[in-house]
Amino acid sequence: MIPVRININTEWREILVEPGERLIDTLRDRFLLTGTKEGCGEGQCGTCTINFNGKAVLSCLMLTVQADNGHILTIEGLQDGLDLHPLQTAFLTESAVQCGYCTPGMIMAGHALIKDHPEPDDSLVKHCLANNLCRCTGYEKPIQAILKAATEMKEKSHD
Amino acid sequence: MRNTPDIKEFHRPKTVTEAIGLLSQQDNGTVLIAGGTDLLPRRQSGRTGVTKNKLVDISGLGLNYIRETQDAFLIGAATDINTLASSPVFKTSPYTAIIEAALAHSTLTLRNRATLGGNLCNASPHADLALPLLVLDAVLVMEGPHGQKTINLDNFFIGPHCTVLEPSEILTEIRIPRMPEKSGANFIKLTRQHTAIDMAVVNAATCLSIKNGICISARIALGSVGPHPFRAKKAEAFMENKTLVKNTLQTAALFQEAAGLAAKEASPIDDIRATAAYRKEMIPVLLQQSLGKSLERSLS
Repeated sequence: MIPVRININTEWREILVEPGERLIDTLRDRFLLTGTKEGCGEGQCGTCTINFNGKAVLSCLMLTVQADNGHILTIEGLQDGLDLHPLQTAFLTESAVQCGYCTPGMIMAGHALIKDHPEPDDSLVKHCLANNLCRCTGYEKPIQAILKAATEMKEKSHD
Repeated sequence: MRNTPDIKEFHRPKTVTEAIGLLSQQDNGTVLIAGGTDLLPRRQSGRTGVTKNKLVDISGLGLNYIRETQDAFLIGAATDINTLASSPVFKTSPYTAIIEAALAHSTLTLRNRATLGGNLCNASPHADLALPLLVLDAVLVMEGPHGQKTINLDNFFIGPHCTVLEPSEILTEIRIPRMPEKSGANFIKLTRQHTAIDMAVVNAATCLSIKNGICISARIALGSVGPHPFRAKKAEAFMENKTLVKNTLQTAALFQEAAGLAAKEASPIDDIRATAAYRKEMIPVLLQQSLGKSLERSLS
């Protein structure tokens, strides 16, 4: 077992893990953060996307030991008390959710994008979502939702 | 709790020397991991490379950097591909081909973890970053129990997923020499669909250096059409000392002939992405476009 210290949704956690334990399993099984979903488990579908040190990464393609001393943000860490994050609100109001399985991954990919590019254009959002598969709603609405959230977050930051 | 198949140990050395020590003492059971975006999915699906179950993590060795010296660019092997893609250092010709290949590699999300050294050491026949580095005459720095050695990237690959790197050696740095003035390079990639995640049907890079209207050096590299990325040296030799003027029929004819020669040097196979015959047809199409762009860039 290997000792690992990870900051998950602003809280430092210390755990002992097997060398082969995947980050997605640590999040879901140890910390019950089941908002992060597993799809293909091979890095193709993007359903397990989280933010690691501010960047979008696939939690099925990371070992927990690789996240040692890092900062993780999952979908559960986005909302502020009972208030949804602008990205979550935009996915609702734009009807960008159907079955919802791919949604946490898309929102976390969008979250990392907006952090680095507060004013993304259509093309950048498409590149951002290129690693996120949706099998029901399609991509147009999630793209619109991310653009809308970016605009709202920018306006809010000027308030 | 699920475990990635058969990973028994995970070591986090703090120095290159310590990492080499780990690689040397353990008999053949160790494998390096940086981002893990290739190593881990290969284990999940039970494909090749699963026999080694002791991982040595090289992300803590300070190998994430891009530096400039008077005669070269130095890139740490553990530099992630998005860092490479957004580096201002490569915004001038002919180094822009590195950015083109970096942006064509997988997806924005995967590129946050995937590293340049990983892309080279995995030695996939499709490795996008190998192509601009081949045409820019990149040199690899490797450290092992007997010290440091350098090797041209051109001599690095020996087969699919196979390189000259010894089990106890680590690729630490990629050096790109400064090219002559009036050099232009380009990376080009054909995929089945507009899905970013797919690997190339054919990928290629070219670089032309021009002096007084004459091609003083030509580099043509091809990927996905042989056991590993390679330089089409007969085509390169053909281009040298030719007078090149952009947008002329004479130059277009020279490019066509060089591209045809390069296609003859390729040995593609049929796979799920394309047939060997289709790949062979596409090589000259891509190379003519790429040579045209490289020439244009060398003159601007």
